[in-house]
Amino acid sequence: MKPGLRIDGLRVQGFGRFSQLHRELGPGMHLLYGPNEAGKSTLLAFLRSMLFGFEKNGHPERYEPRDGGTFGGELRLTTELGPLLVRRVAASRKSKGEPTVLGPDGQPLPWERVQDALGHVSRELFFDVFAFRLDELAGFERLTEQRGASEALVAASMRGARRLPEVVARLEKSAGALYKPNGQTPLLNEALRALEDVQARLREAGDRPARYFAEKERLAARSEEQRVLEAELHDAGRELERLGRLEAALADVSALAEARAELASLPELEHFPEGGEARLEDALHRRRSYRAEGARLAEKLATVDAGLERLAAPSPVRGRGEALHLALAAYTERSGLLRALPARRAAVEEKRRQVERELRELGLPVDGPGLMALDLSASVRAALEELATRLAAVETERREALGARMRARSERERLDGAVARVRGELAGLPDVRPAQVRQQQSGLGRLRTVRGELDRLSEQRAELRRQYESARSQGEPTPADVVLPMWWVPAVAGVTVVLAVVTWLLAGTVAGALSLVGGLLLTGVLELARRRVEAARDAGLEAHAARQRGRQQEEERLRSTLAGLAAREEMLHRDLLSAAAEAGMTPVATASDLATREAALAEALEQAGRRELLLREEEKLREGHGEAVREEQRAEETLREAEVRRGTLATELAAHLSARHFPSTLPASAALTLWRDAAALRQRLLDVGAEAAALAVDERACAPVALKLWEEAVAAGLASGLGFSEPGSTRATQAMTAAIPQGALETVAARVSAALDSEREQTAERRVLEESRRELLAEKARLDGLSHEEELALALLLAEGGGADEESFRRRAAQARRYAELTHRARELSQRIEARTGLTEAHVREALREVGGEEGLHASLGTRRARHTEAQERNKAVLTELGALSNQLSAWENDDELARLRIEEEALRARVAELATRYAADRLTLALLARARRRFEEEQQPRVVQLASEHFAALTGGRYRRVFIPTSEERELRVGDGERDWSAAQLSRGTREQLYLAFRLAVVRDFGETRGALPLIVDDVLVNFDPERARGAIRLLARLSTQHQVIAFTCHPWLREAFAAEGARVQELDSTVSTAQPIPAPELQAG
Amino acid sequence: MPFKFVHAADLHLDTPFRGVAAPGPLPGRFQESTFRALTRIVDLCLRERVAFLLLAGDLFDVKDRSVRARLALRRELARLDTAGIQSFIVHGNHDPLSGDTGTLGLPASVKVFGPDWEEADVVREGRHLCRVQGISYPDVEVREDLSARFRRTGDGFNVGLLHANLGGAEGHANYAPCTTAGLGARGLDYWALGHVHTRAEHALPGGGVAVYPGNPQGRHAHESGERGCVLVEVEDGGTRRRFVPVDGVRWHKLELPLSGVGTLDGLVSTALEAVESRCASELDGHAVRLTLTGRGPLHRELARPGALAQVETELRERLAKVHPPVLLESLRDGTRPELDVEALRAAGGFSRTLLDEARFLAESPEELARLWEQEALGSLGQRLKRLGVDVLATPRPEWVVGAGLHGAESLHEEDAP
Repeated sequence: MKPGLRIDGLRVQGFGRFSQLHRELGPGMHLLYGPNEAGKSTLLAFLRSMLFGFEKNGHPERYEPRDGGTFGGELRLTTELGPLLVRRVAASRKSKGEPTVLGPDGQPLPWERVQDALGHVSRELFFDVFAFRLDELAGFERLTEQRGASEALVAASMRGARRLPEVVARLEKSAGALYKPNGQTPLLNEALRALEDVQARLREAGDRPARYFAEKERLAARSEEQRVLEAELHDAGRELERLGRLEAALADVSALAEARAELASLPELEHFPEGGEARLEDALHRRRSYRAEGARLAEKLATVDAGLERLAAPSPVRGRGEALHLALAAYTERSGLLRALPARRAAVEEKRRQVERELRELGLPVDGPGLMALDLSASVRAALEELATRLAAVETERREALGARMRARSERERLDGAVARVRGELAGLPDVRPAQVRQQQSGLGRLRTVRGELDRLSEQRAELRRQYESARSQGEPTPADVVLPMWWVPAVAGVTVVLAVVTWLLAGTVAGALSLVGGLLLTGVLELARRRVEAARDAGLEAHAARQRGRQQEEERLRSTLAGLAAREEMLHRDLLSAAAEAGMTPVATASDLATREAALAEALEQAGRRELLLREEEKLREGHGEAVREEQRAEETLREAEVRRGTLATELAAHLSARHFPSTLPASAALTLWRDAAALRQRLLDVGAEAAALAVDERACAPVALKLWEEAVAAGLASGLGFSEPGSTRATQAMTAAIPQGALETVAARVSAALDSEREQTAERRVLEESRRELLAEKARLDGLSHEEELALALLLAEGGGADEESFRRRAAQARRYAELTHRARELSQRIEARTGLTEAHVREALREVGGEEGLHASLGTRRARHTEAQERNKAVLTELGALSNQLSAWENDDELARLRIEEEALRARVAELATRYAADRLTLALLARARRRFEEEQQPRVVQLASEHFAALTGGRYRRVFIPTSEERELRVGDGERDWSAAQLSRGTREQLYLAFRLAVVRDFGETRGALPLIVDDVLVNFDPERARGAIRLLARLSTQHQVIAFTCHPWLREAFAAEGARVQELDSTVSTAQPIPAPELQAG
Repeated sequence: MPFKFVHAADLHLDTPFRGVAAPGPLPGRFQESTFRALTRIVDLCLRERVAFLLLAGDLFDVKDRSVRARLALRRELARLDTAGIQSFIVHGNHDPLSGDTGTLGLPASVKVFGPDWEEADVVREGRHLCRVQGISYPDVEVREDLSARFRRTGDGFNVGLLHANLGGAEGHANYAPCTTAGLGARGLDYWALGHVHTRAEHALPGGGVAVYPGNPQGRHAHESGERGCVLVEVEDGGTRRRFVPVDGVRWHKLELPLSGVGTLDGLVSTALEAVESRCASELDGHAVRLTLTGRGPLHRELARPGALAQVETELRERLAKVHPPVLLESLRDGTRPELDVEALRAAGGFSRTLLDEARFLAESPEELARLWEQEALGSLGQRLKRLGVDVLATPRPEWVVGAGLHGAESLHEEDAP
């Protein structure tokens, strides 16, 4: 057994519910007993944390103290190299806690000392095997179930491989996700597939450059071919075109031949008159029309002659037309006037009656003639108007004067009131002037200033006097006289000599000489001291005299200042008196008196100012009053004058009115209106008279006109006679006129007018007919001339056409037309042939003959066309191929597909390499783990399994004899009783836990033998054991505790007793007062 | 008469970047950089008024079958032809004569060497400048030392143009193997080599020099740093060589220590800062392999399934948006757990057995090979190899050690996932 580590004591500073908990442990077996929640698990976690660091923040086993104090504690350990004190306190909230290791003398030691003592056990192995709880024992069970015992065994019992199953599972998952030899979805499989795909596509693309250059050569060959084809096509095209033209001209050539043959059959008709037939027809037509025109003219002449004959019949009106016309004109001129005469007469009568009625209504004492006799001239009206105007002006003046008088009177009364108010106010004010008051105020101010100054002066004087007094009283005494008198020195010298002689006598020469020398030296020192003191005193005296002089000068200055102050005080007193007199007060008046006086003066000043103001206002008011009185008097006077003028004018007006037969009492304006109305009526009377005169004139003028018309009508047989033989005077005329019935005259006038119109129309018609007859005769003469000319022209045309008569002429004309047509056609055909073929007619015929005529031409054309089409097809095919080749080449020149594929290929290669590397790493790690596990099991396990068998047999009281791992692939853990065996899963829970405990104890012992004995800490792991097996387990622990420290926790009294029976040192943990165990020993010390 | 020439090799035109597992627009854009590198080489020739350009094999990959590559080569060489600059080409294992060489229709001034030794004279303005001799690969696999066929044929400057593996450089197929002694014995002044993608110069016994210019554009994480061609100035038989970078997109392998990084967000921002500080802004873009190293509290968080991939995705997206854009090839977790392996071993127990087993397997190839087959990794490796991925082609002892650590770490974890 190798020495390892033992926990001798623990001190919890703060951990979970514990603070300041102290427990002493030591070698052997210890039981910490306590009920539930007494902190057993907390203490297990504390021991783990002290040795391997606190759990991470948030971990359930971190156990930070509840009260937030120091987190950590101390362990006292015994190791091979001596005692150690391990202290671990978390520095921060997240800290794992830095451990401190102290030696026996408190010297700090490296952490490696603890690790050495722990045999470099890993944290995982320690937690799994050396310090565990019941659930962690069961955790072993979980691993067994899931993974088979072998890995779990390796994991739990083989140090440092607790996580082996998880790691293997993770690696296999990772490798599986990367690659499977026959898989599809893993990453590497996919990448490989993609790479193969890209490479296949690259293979498909083929050898690009080789194809490129081959295609390029093909392109050149095809270009050459195309060029040759192009030339051939061009030639063939030209030949085809030539033949095509010949073919197009074939029809024209034959038509031309026919035309020429017909022309030859016709007589020579080149000089047949141009358009002869048409001209003949025209001439014939014209001749016919001339003849028809002549017949029509003769008919018209007959009609005209008949009309003239009809108009030559006699008429009664003819010959009297002029007189009738004049009479009718005169009547028509006055017919309107005649018709209006009766109405005008009635209207004049009516107007006259109306004027006379209005005159009566006007109220003037005159009738119509009287009115005409009144003087209503413009001068009278002007005089009347002037009087009215003057009267109105006088009236206005009078009214203004009245208004002015009223205003002046009210102004005067207002001023009277103001003067009375000012006087009343003045009577209430004292009779003082402001200047006086201001003088008193200034006196008062000066009095106040002088008194203040006097006070300050007296203070200054008192201060000065105090200084003066103090200056005088500061006189200091003269310094004291000599301290050491002169004679002291010889006296001391003498005494010294005497003492020296006495010494010589008593003690001998040497002593005497010595005392003499000593005495003389002392005397010298005394003399030196005395001289120093003398010099200091002289200096003091001099300083004293200087101070005395300065003080005298100061006194002198103060005295003169005091005198100056007294003179100034005197002056101020005088000022005080004069100021008091001015202010009207005594000089000794108090400050309150002064204030009262000041207030009174301010009020008096205000009143005096007001009084002056009022006096000036009264003066102004007085002046205003006088002015108002004068104004009133002036207004009175003006009024009186206006009254006088108005009286005069009224008298004048009355005289004026009575002179004109107007009522004399009328006011001016009414008289003026009356005047205007009378004038208007007189004017209207005059107008009526003028109108009646005009009417009479008109009646006189109309009568002869009417009579004349009637007489003329009778003469023409248009009216019957009236019986008057001779018209005589005007009066007779008027009487005749009156005898004619009103409507008859109108009828006669209408009849006369109609007869006149009819006569005029007949005259006009006759003139028209005569004119027409003349024109018709002229037209007939012209037609005869034309007809003759036409006959001559016709004869000439027939002669020119070579025809004896019209019939033969027409025949020849038809032949001539055909001749011209054929000639024109031949020319046209010839031109067309030339245009189509570009050859003359002769050449065309020659060419046709060459190709074998029409038949030969068609055959040749057919074959050539077929050949040309074929060549075109070929050319097109070559061109298409050329285009495709160029496209392909330019695509290859610019195409980056290959480059892209190559990039993709390289990217996939890189990816495949990366994935394969990762896959290989995973596979290699897995393989290594498997090999290491096998080797580990082979080398390490037998001893552990052997120990486990021993323990399990002891734990089960010999029920099972051995634990073993079969060599099959399963490599599971099995137990046997010598006859048959079971897997761990087949065991009951308690038995299974006993198996796992047995394995742990085996590992603990193995570790102790090979590496170092470490303490075993178990937290209530025996609860599922029956009492017998529990006692067996405790016995096993007790045996183990001879080599290893064993610390057990339990809450079960029966287990406590069992532990106690096996010699365990029992300590209790109190659930309620666990923190209330103050440990008197404040600090642990190593050892 | 002094003259200049440019020596480039391994253009690998229109070849995709390797090792980028994530799709996105950047790989396509960056692939164009191989063309831009060639354009810059030609620009350099024109700017420096060189006498000729040497292209030492692997102008493109036959397996890429890119038409664009052939056309680009023709276009760029035509520019040189217009300027009166000759070009000399040999073919290598990636573009052997047996395949399509893409030389069809190249300008007349371009000399493509055949499968047998040939020599060409370079004459300018009527004066003989130098001789260039070269041999192209007839097939992909050439195991013969082609350099043995080269020889000095006269006075003046002699250049050998060859695609070859000098001194058995690792990481490259051992085609046309040759040695410095062998090259020196041929008596040439300048060996313009191709095949090894990392720039190198070898002084030869006898005074000559063999130069690998490296490839002008890096294409995967192992081709990090500046890439370009060599400008050679020849005067009085001596050479002055100057490397000229022409790469547009640069590869970086960056390590990011985890110490001091507490959160995944912090990791992302730290990584962004680290990458941006290392990526020069004048280039067209960058490609980065980022490896997290060291121990740190984030190790466990990164070990969670999907965590690393999530960070990688976020980082890739954000880097793609910076200017110039950065392509994150991969984010690799090279961190170690906060696990004291020695203490674990000392503690014994299962972990010790596990670690011992891992060590045993790593030291015993036969056992490892047996385990490899047992876990069917061999057959998977065969399948991958057929697809062009040789990550599992041979058993990897270091993986077993890693697996042991991984196992021990997993067992040691405190919290179950």
